[in-house]
Amino acid sequence: MKNVLLIAELSLREALRKRLVLILLILTALFVGFYLYGILRLQQTLDDRALNAGLDYDPGRGRRGLTGASVAFSAIFGMYLVYFLGSLMSVLSTVGAVSGDIENGVMQSIISRPVSRAQLVLGRWLGFSVVNVAYVSLLSAALLIGVRVITGFTPPQPVLAALLVLLAVLLLTSLTVLGSALFTTLSNGIGVFVLYGLGFTGGILSTIGQLAATPVLITLGNVANVLMPSNALWLGASYHLQPEYVLQLNSLTRGANPFISTTPISAGTVIWAAVYALLVLGLAVLAFRRRDL
Amino acid sequence: MTLTKTRHAAPPAAQMAIATDSLRKVYRGRAVVQGLTLNVGPGEVFGFLGPNGAGKSTTIKMLLGLVMPTSGSVSVLGGSPQDPNVRQQLGFLPEQFRFQTWMTAQEFLNFHGRLAGMKQGELRARIPQVLEQVGLGGRGNETLNGYSKGMLQRTGLAQAILARPRLVFLDEPTSALDPIGRIEVREIIAGLKREGVAVFLNSHLLSEVEQVCDHVAFVKAGEVLRQGSMATLLGGEVPVEVRVSLLTPELLSDLGKLGEVEALPEDQGRPGVQVYLTRDTDLPLIARAVSANGLNLYALTPHRPDLEGLFLELIDTSGDQKTAGQK
Repeated sequence: MKNVLLIAELSLREALRKRLVLILLILTALFVGFYLYGILRLQQTLDDRALNAGLDYDPGRGRRGLTGASVAFSAIFGMYLVYFLGSLMSVLSTVGAVSGDIENGVMQSIISRPVSRAQLVLGRWLGFSVVNVAYVSLLSAALLIGVRVITGFTPPQPVLAALLVLLAVLLLTSLTVLGSALFTTLSNGIGVFVLYGLGFTGGILSTIGQLAATPVLITLGNVANVLMPSNALWLGASYHLQPEYVLQLNSLTRGANPFISTTPISAGTVIWAAVYALLVLGLAVLAFRRRDL
Repeated sequence: MTLTKTRHAAPPAAQMAIATDSLRKVYRGRAVVQGLTLNVGPGEVFGFLGPNGAGKSTTIKMLLGLVMPTSGSVSVLGGSPQDPNVRQQLGFLPEQFRFQTWMTAQEFLNFHGRLAGMKQGELRARIPQVLEQVGLGGRGNETLNGYSKGMLQRTGLAQAILARPRLVFLDEPTSALDPIGRIEVREIIAGLKREGVAVFLNSHLLSEVEQVCDHVAFVKAGEVLRQGSMATLLGGEVPVEVRVSLLTPELLSDLGKLGEVEALPEDQGRPGVQVYLTRDTDLPLIARAVSANGLNLYALTPHRPDLEGLFLELIDTSGDQKTAGQK
């Protein structure tokens, strides 16, 4: 365990020293600031319309109906962007976790030390997971708190939603570490993004299948979700971000929006995603055991 | 000179620093190392020589557990190179010395020391010591991305000897160093030898190998052509060129008692012969024989074999043999 923590510490220090964290914080501040500014303008426009219509609006009670839905959607789509940026971060930060060190020759001097290959893979995974989880947690908190401060809107279960997004981030981090233990950095990056795309495709197929009442498409979507459950996790998170009146509104459209779900994620999918992440990590350890350096 | 593999009487594998038997590595159907059998004794400085593409670096990687052998066995310090307890006693300077250049030398050594199981207190004392030893005293707080290639190689050497290993692998340790750096590396190797540390040295600089190694192995195309002690490999017949005023039958008879005699063409009007001495301590006897015959001695030049000559002879002859299908 000592060596795992030592390698994880190396990954964290590397992220800090290579200014990855600094750049991320700056870009995150820009993204959150830009997005919240948009929400602020939306809020001001809605307030102006309410005043012009002679409505006695009490901001403390929050908005309901279509105006309330627009605020809720802005929070939900903000969280979708958090999920997307978190996924991007999981893949890009981790893509060379093992392969990068092999390609630039750093690995030889590390592996010749009394550190097992399993410890190295687990250490790299732990280090990058801490960075990615911290990043997504910070981003989620900044966005949701910002929305609450500006609009007074708080999603029904923000913590549960964030946890599902974090599980998706951990799954992608594990998959990227596996790819990094097996392939070159470039091949790994392409491969994981294709898988990520497969998950998204699954969501779209399911949506179309439900809208057009076509069971084959729903089945294909389910297969894609099993192969890559990241999008299913996001859809599960989106359910917990919608207040009741927004859920009812979305149900009327028979779930025509592929970015959000009107049904909660099944416990089986969540368990499968967690087991998948662990299996993939185990495979990464096995794959790296006999790789020639 | 025949090309037979010489194997010195070796202690059991458990007592050897390195023992391999029929080690083989095949990449995509091509054998890079084939049937390599090596024995390196404890505290020995072992030179591993061969032309480019001979499989030297792959062999080192197999000895360190970085590359898995296709077949054959490897024993390092009596155990498997995959065993963390064995690795704890190893040092390694890779040929491609690439390190985390965002670290300072101090941080880099601290990280490697911790990986090797050293305590912080021990590292605080040891790091300045090894930095001084490799000529980087006072430069430990600079980041490695500001270091020259030679300084990086010195840092790699410091990393290799940091944890007081029992066996050090040095893969081309002086490739980026200036002549002073090379002398310093020789001194470090000599120091390791005095401390009883075995050194496995892969270098193209044969003069260096000749100065520091006890034993050498010549490899080509993944096979050992010859291995043995320097004394055995270079201590055979010494050809001595003799130039005198006149070659008389009496002188030739006297020289014939010392070793095989071969006629040489005249050089600046002076006749000469080559005498193959079996012991170079017999050299003064040639001068004495010339003097006893009342002749003038103009040249007495021993042509001792060196590693470079032996290397060229072995590698060339091996190539000829392969061409002739005699392998």
